[in-house]
Amino acid sequence: MTYNRRQTLALMGAAAASGLAAPAIASGKKPVVGALSLTSHSGSFIALERGYFKDAGLDVELKFFQAAQPMAVAIASGDVDFGVTAISGGLLSLAQKGAVKVIGGALSEEPGIEGQKLLASDAAFEAGLTSPAALDGKRYGMTTAGSSFHYMGSKIAGAEGGTPQFIPLQKVGAVIGALKSGQIDAWSIVPHIAKPLAGSGAVHIIGNVADYLPNYQVTTVFTSARNASEERGLTESFLNGFGKGVADYNATMVDKENGDAAIDEMVDLIHKYVYADRPREKAAPSIINGSMRINKDAAINVASVTDQLTWMQTEGLVDANITLETFLDTSYVDVIGA
Amino acid sequence: MSDTSLSHHQPLEVRFRGGGFAPRRHRWIGAAAFVILIAFLEWATQSGVITPLTLPKPSDVLATLVELWQSGMFVKHIVPSLTRLAVGASLGAIVGVGVGVLIGLFSLVRAGLVPLVAAIFPIPKIALLPLFVIWFGIDEGSKYALIAFGTFTPTVVATYGAVDNVDRSLIRMGQSFGLSWFSIVRKIVLPGAMPGVLSGLRISLAIAIILLVAAEMLGAQYGIGAYILEAGSLYDLERLFAGVVILSLLGVLTSTAIGMIERRVLAWRS
Repeated sequence: MTYNRRQTLALMGAAAASGLAAPAIASGKKPVVGALSLTSHSGSFIALERGYFKDAGLDVELKFFQAAQPMAVAIASGDVDFGVTAISGGLLSLAQKGAVKVIGGALSEEPGIEGQKLLASDAAFEAGLTSPAALDGKRYGMTTAGSSFHYMGSKIAGAEGGTPQFIPLQKVGAVIGALKSGQIDAWSIVPHIAKPLAGSGAVHIIGNVADYLPNYQVTTVFTSARNASEERGLTESFLNGFGKGVADYNATMVDKENGDAAIDEMVDLIHKYVYADRPREKAAPSIINGSMRINKDAAINVASVTDQLTWMQTEGLVDANITLETFLDTSYVDVIGA
Repeated sequence: MSDTSLSHHQPLEVRFRGGGFAPRRHRWIGAAAFVILIAFLEWATQSGVITPLTLPKPSDVLATLVELWQSGMFVKHIVPSLTRLAVGASLGAIVGVGVGVLIGLFSLVRAGLVPLVAAIFPIPKIALLPLFVIWFGIDEGSKYALIAFGTFTPTVVATYGAVDNVDRSLIRMGQSFGLSWFSIVRKIVLPGAMPGVLSGLRISLAIAIILLVAAEMLGAQYGIGAYILEAGSLYDLERLFAGVVILSLLGVLTSTAIGMIERRVLAWRS
């Protein structure tokens, strides 16, 4: 058998690649990590910028999305390897179809740390929507059915004995516009978006999500079912790098252990990915305000995740046959709240 | 001599060869195409050649449709959608036909409006949805406006094109016979433009159905478009395809309705 030059080069390349891939840790792999331009994704940003992914032998590429749902679909299609996003009805359906698995936890509500805020539009506020107790029958904004906004609104209003109408608006930007112009009455969102909105006077903060959903596991780390079951080395390397990024974020931004200079430095880093279209001095307060706890070593709060699954099933958003095992692989990280 | 030689020739048979590409009606071919495609998909999904992540089983989609009907949600979804479609599309089509006829008849209107219509036509109406929400409110107003705006421009273009294509010699004949301007418009221009207007409406109404889904992206709790979008965000393929089937049926129905109008209004052609 004879080879031409191109085939020989390809063979040599393949030989080199297989030689590199041989060590236990998946060195030289190029996983794609999905992210949204939110501070809650800082774990990935920091791990990439500070070389923690590289230390774990990964050459990570970040891919940005506008919403959680397309990211879940991209993982199912194999275009993205790892993602961090809220548990949505779509994520659960994809897990049921054997496409994705949740492997860890990320953003959490924690007592004593400022978390997500419940907002009311100015018009609704003037008309008496000054606390979550008045949510019954109000128009509550959400991106899509089965999103985290749907869950929060339903849970908070339900705790006060009310049932709001849920208005789907597809994108966070559209919800913000509708809330500012009074087309919807209420919404809930992470603090780094809530506070500037309230500061503008067009909306009012009327409650804290943490008061109703303490220890709410807001976002989770997930990957394709294939990565979770067959690429353990790759998945462990990712969680290793991600965990170091998260540890830096918590120490500097949430617990403020490292002083103001460290905060400044980290704001610079995060600003490359979050509010990159705004000047730094305008972006900095929002980034600092938005510092919520990201779970150490991507531990996952199973009690909260179970509650979210149960809620989706009682609302008829996902199949009643889905169980925790369908979408959760707890073999990678610590379990809390079980 | 010549007489006898002629009498030996049989008269030349001249067949009628001018049948053209006359379309014939084949009633069952269309249905058969659907049946074959669906049967293939059912086989492929049952046998696992196509994974459940890629396509749902057609039988499951049918079951979802039956469920939707039995739960009473079908009516709850279809009524607002049909209302939006009817109000938006008739608004857009009526104004569109009116403006199109005016452009066709008056050079001054043509000079003023054709560039404007050309400028509006390529604007993606979906991109203007957030703006419409501010202008017309998040409820029905913005949805009517989006569908009306989307059907308006193709209707205008089809209508003035149809008016332009009316046989000039017929109009000249009418003028020679001393018909009034109004008579010419009513008896020659409008009937002559009707085929073009109706085929334009086929396109406009299909666009209206497409825009229905877009219109229901913002703030619709019920409606076929909202149902499809919700199924998509939940990655519930059975419901997604059930909604798509309903939209397709809606498309077939409007197309059939226009076909019936054509046969009635254009009976003079045959």
